[in-house]
Amino acid sequence: MDYITNGFIEALRLLFSGDIEAYTVVFTTIKISSLSITASLVIGVPLGFLLGYYEFPGKRQIRTVVDTLLALPTVVVGLVVYAFVTRQGPLGGMGLLFTIPGIAVAQTILITPIVISLTATAVESLDRRLRETLMTLGARQGQLLLASIMEARHAIAAAAVTAYGRAISEVGISMMIGGNIKWYTRTITTAIALETAKGQFALGMALGIVLLTLALLVNIMLVALKKRS
Amino acid sequence: MESAASKELYRVINLRHRRGNHFELTIPDLTIGDGESIGLTGPSGGGKSTILSLLSFLEDPHHGKVLFGGKTITDNDSLSVRRSVTLLSQDPYLLKRSVYENVAYPLKIRGETGSLKGRVFEAMDMVGLKPDHFAGRRWHELSGGEAQRVALAARLVIRPRVLLLDEPTSGVDPANALLIKESIQTHRKKYGTSLVIASHDSLWLNSAADRVIKIYGGRIETIESANLIPGPWAKEEKDLYRRNLSDGRCIYSVSPPGEKATGILDPSEIIVSLHPPSDLSARNILAGRINRMTSHGEDRSIIIDVDIADLPLTCRLTRQGARQLDLLPGREVWLIFKASSIRWE
Repeated sequence: MDYITNGFIEALRLLFSGDIEAYTVVFTTIKISSLSITASLVIGVPLGFLLGYYEFPGKRQIRTVVDTLLALPTVVVGLVVYAFVTRQGPLGGMGLLFTIPGIAVAQTILITPIVISLTATAVESLDRRLRETLMTLGARQGQLLLASIMEARHAIAAAAVTAYGRAISEVGISMMIGGNIKWYTRTITTAIALETAKGQFALGMALGIVLLTLALLVNIMLVALKKRS
Repeated sequence: MESAASKELYRVINLRHRRGNHFELTIPDLTIGDGESIGLTGPSGGGKSTILSLLSFLEDPHHGKVLFGGKTITDNDSLSVRRSVTLLSQDPYLLKRSVYENVAYPLKIRGETGSLKGRVFEAMDMVGLKPDHFAGRRWHELSGGEAQRVALAARLVIRPRVLLLDEPTSGVDPANALLIKESIQTHRKKYGTSLVIASHDSLWLNSAADRVIKIYGGRIETIESANLIPGPWAKEEKDLYRRNLSDGRCIYSVSPPGEKATGILDPSEIIVSLHPPSDLSARNILAGRINRMTSHGEDRSIIIDVDIADLPLTCRLTRQGARQLDLLPGREVWLIFKASSIRWE
């Protein structure tokens, strides 16, 4: 049991002494997940809004597909993206394999359905009186859409936070597309997997603590946002 | 109906509009003058909200026309019309923003710059919301009556040409209701706003409206203050039918078209007496207490509401008649009318 206690003490020492390897891994993780969340919001919020706001044929089928993609396994995304960006793949020339942008692209594929689905739900659950109210206050079509997004802003932010939580905690994509390259594409989750396999519990635990702290912060934000919406 | 202002604002022609499978609003012809104040009364589900929705151009009538300023509203000018007509619905929605932002929103989307703050504060003052106290409040930090007043301020701030109000005082306490009524009157005086108010508060409508339109079952009753006597009607003898009142008495009518038919009784058809009459051919002789007296219309005739079991009846008397009888609220009177005075649609 000693190795767990020692590992925990060593973990705190690494964190508080500002261990460069541990912090590089943390910053890489934040960098990748920030890229992927930005891309998924840019793509997902408008699509989710369209899906939730308008009635069109095939809407329910699309909704079912998007909701199914919520449960997308990370290794499947990793596999498919790998097949595309590997040297022999159709996008092999872009040199995305084993790079940060490569991981971010795959993560965007993973979390965009979350943003779309939760945004659509947020827009669908807007008050039925909203449209009539905006019309009677004299809003044009564009102002109507903008104000509707504004009304759903807390729920959309909650969607973003949920998606971000999924991005920072996934391991399959980072491992397969990033390759766990030290000082470059190593993320918190891939580092923990590696260090555990090596029997180096201290660094793994230190990173585990950071990951849990990040997850806690994300959740606190989520609770606060849900309260507001 | 002569009180309509000279210039025509709305003209409703041959309108028919369905709501669900069982309701249709029918208005053959209705004119509302510029600057006029109209009251709409009648039972719930009678068509008041539907009229307001059509007058606000939120929806188009299924059949017939609603002219505004003498013109049909096309898609091209619908925005400018919607921006001069505004509706306060029965249960208004506030944007998830501060009180200030809620009231400023209609100005902002009109691209108004300059001193928004002055206009917003003026509107807040008008509805009795102290700006320094309420401006920063969030939408969820308001009572029902305060929320209603914020919603009203957001309509008044644009100084609309027409203000359509759907039960603006229902569901708020008397103090808030008073503030709402006062602010509407103040605004009308200041800016000459035309008003269409749907309300159950007949006392307020009688004082605030130039004329009151009674609507039930999707139709406009043409006689002011007409009594509506809903069924069920049970056969008494031959053509004579009976409608039981809650206290065991009854009202007689002649040949209702159906068991559930609603009878219409013109208030002028009712004779008011201080003593129980004898030797009268009239079938309906009912005692009741005067609940309320108001004076109404150009000729200042006296309208009295008499409580009779579950069916209060409204009678119309001349001023002279009312004075001779020395009528007062609380006094017991006998109401007399013929069974054949009850008409059917």
